[in-house]
Amino acid sequence: MTDVDILLPRKNFDVQIKESFSEGITGIFGPNGSGKTSLLHCISGLARPAKGKISIEGNVVFVADKGIHVPVEKRSIGYVFQEGRLFPHMNVEKNLLYGVKKHVISKITFDEVVELLNLRHLLKSKPAQISGGERQRTALGRSLLSTPNILLLDEPFSAVDTHLRSQIIPFIIRIQQKVKIPILVVSHDLPDLLKLTNTLFLIRDGQCIGHGEYYNLLKNRDVSELFGDCTLVNTLDMEVKQNTEQNGLTLLEYKKGEKTVLVKCEKSKENYEVGSRIKIFIHADDIALSGEFINGISIQNQLQGEVTDLIERGSTLLCVADVGFRLVVEITAESQKRLKISKGSTIWCLFKSVAIDVVG
Amino acid sequence: MTGLFRLNDSEIQAVNLSIEVAVYCTLISIPLALVTGSIMARHNFIGKSLIDSIIHLPLVMPPVTTGYLLLLLLGSKSHIGSWLFTTFGIKLAFQFQAAVIASIVVSFPLIVRSVRTAMEMVDTGLEEASRILGAGKVKTFLRITVPLALPGVFSGAILAFARSLGEFGATITFAGNIAGETQTLPLAIFSYMQVPGKDEATFKLVLISVLISFIAMALSEWCIKRMKHDRR
Repeated sequence: MTDVDILLPRKNFDVQIKESFSEGITGIFGPNGSGKTSLLHCISGLARPAKGKISIEGNVVFVADKGIHVPVEKRSIGYVFQEGRLFPHMNVEKNLLYGVKKHVISKITFDEVVELLNLRHLLKSKPAQISGGERQRTALGRSLLSTPNILLLDEPFSAVDTHLRSQIIPFIIRIQQKVKIPILVVSHDLPDLLKLTNTLFLIRDGQCIGHGEYYNLLKNRDVSELFGDCTLVNTLDMEVKQNTEQNGLTLLEYKKGEKTVLVKCEKSKENYEVGSRIKIFIHADDIALSGEFINGISIQNQLQGEVTDLIERGSTLLCVADVGFRLVVEITAESQKRLKISKGSTIWCLFKSVAIDVVG
Repeated sequence: MTGLFRLNDSEIQAVNLSIEVAVYCTLISIPLALVTGSIMARHNFIGKSLIDSIIHLPLVMPPVTTGYLLLLLLGSKSHIGSWLFTTFGIKLAFQFQAAVIASIVVSFPLIVRSVRTAMEMVDTGLEEASRILGAGKVKTFLRITVPLALPGVFSGAILAFARSLGEFGATITFAGNIAGETQTLPLAIFSYMQVPGKDEATFKLVLISVLISFIAMALSEWCIKRMKHDRR
């Protein structure tokens, strides 16, 4: 558990945050200049709050009243900066080894990091010779090898080309599964964050306006305002049930308690082994609703569920449906009236197998 | 013409002495300049501009003045000079060490300027990244700041070396013109010029002086090229 209770005065507003961050990935979202990076700076020790206290995984690193301010290098923090900040005079291998501590047993070895982040072929290259995504992966690896207690990622996607962004996401997920430390990811790109995690910390003008699971946060008026017209994404953990060779579809299974839901998705380039766990993304506006099961339609997935929430969002509505897992569906107000959808109605969620993005 | 390349003992001594003084001066200046340069580049404190002015003073003062002030400060009649002599038996003025000290003082502003500018160019973000990875201030300085500022440190060292080779005024005032002790190449040339009929010998030393400078320049050029190549 990492506890933050700080007050950091800034020019136009104060950053005032009192929160606890638990294991897993927390996405920190807010507009530019809302204090996201300031929060990371305070945790890492690059900035010193005026008041408050901070403890990282049980280690007290800052107490304003007692004058405790553990220096940056003693906080055991992994910090990946927006621009990667690789050392230009060292090759990838030396960059990776820079933070390795001799007398500390690491949760992850050099070879594991190299395999996990697919860096083997880059080891002898200088940072200037590799791509933005490769630099970010190297920076991630370098942080991991310094045996951090917490990983802070500051806009890890923004230095990477838009179409390559999704390539860094599976690496972050793999890291979390491997080292099991809290990871705080700052971004102003909501879809990117939602692909990583459903736990969000929302910040505006230095204040927390919501912290918790994404589906629960949606109801908050402040939050929907903050989300603006960002595309919303449903992220789901699935298990590969069956690969169907003939029709090129992969059958995925979602299990929670006794209920299982089957989803068909287009077989991706990679061949997923049966039994492996993968993450899938479905955009909220790629899902259609129907009042009844439709026969004779090309759409492969029709999931029956119950509407648990209806949230106004400008000219459209967000319909949260429980089909075994929760799905956020974006529909127009007109459709809602026509289909007479209200809280508790039974509906079918329709989405094409090609609308599903997959990350291993 | 063959006599042009045959040097007598005192001439060889002058050449050796010049190079020795320049090497000592450069080797001592580099660490001092690294520390001073980094403080000036990275920290703000009261009296910073005063210290900056003092460092730069030898650049604008006539070297003879610098030499005279050194004599006042470190000469055997000064407080520091007499204290050094009574406690450690060290005599500075009119010794080999005096020639080195004079060279250091005169060339210091050049190397500090070069180092400071190079360090100001080093991205502080990289230093932050190093600290977060667990490296303390000293390790960060030695493994990140200095290597990245190396081309600047190197060109500063070349400047200091060259300035030391050419040093005349401060040396003759503080170290004297003692053959085999403190008579460097410029001082030897000057001495030869005072003696009628030594034209050929003078010219010989001048030629050597040009040659040394040329080699030093070529060497530094080559090193800088290599350094730039390594970066890529």
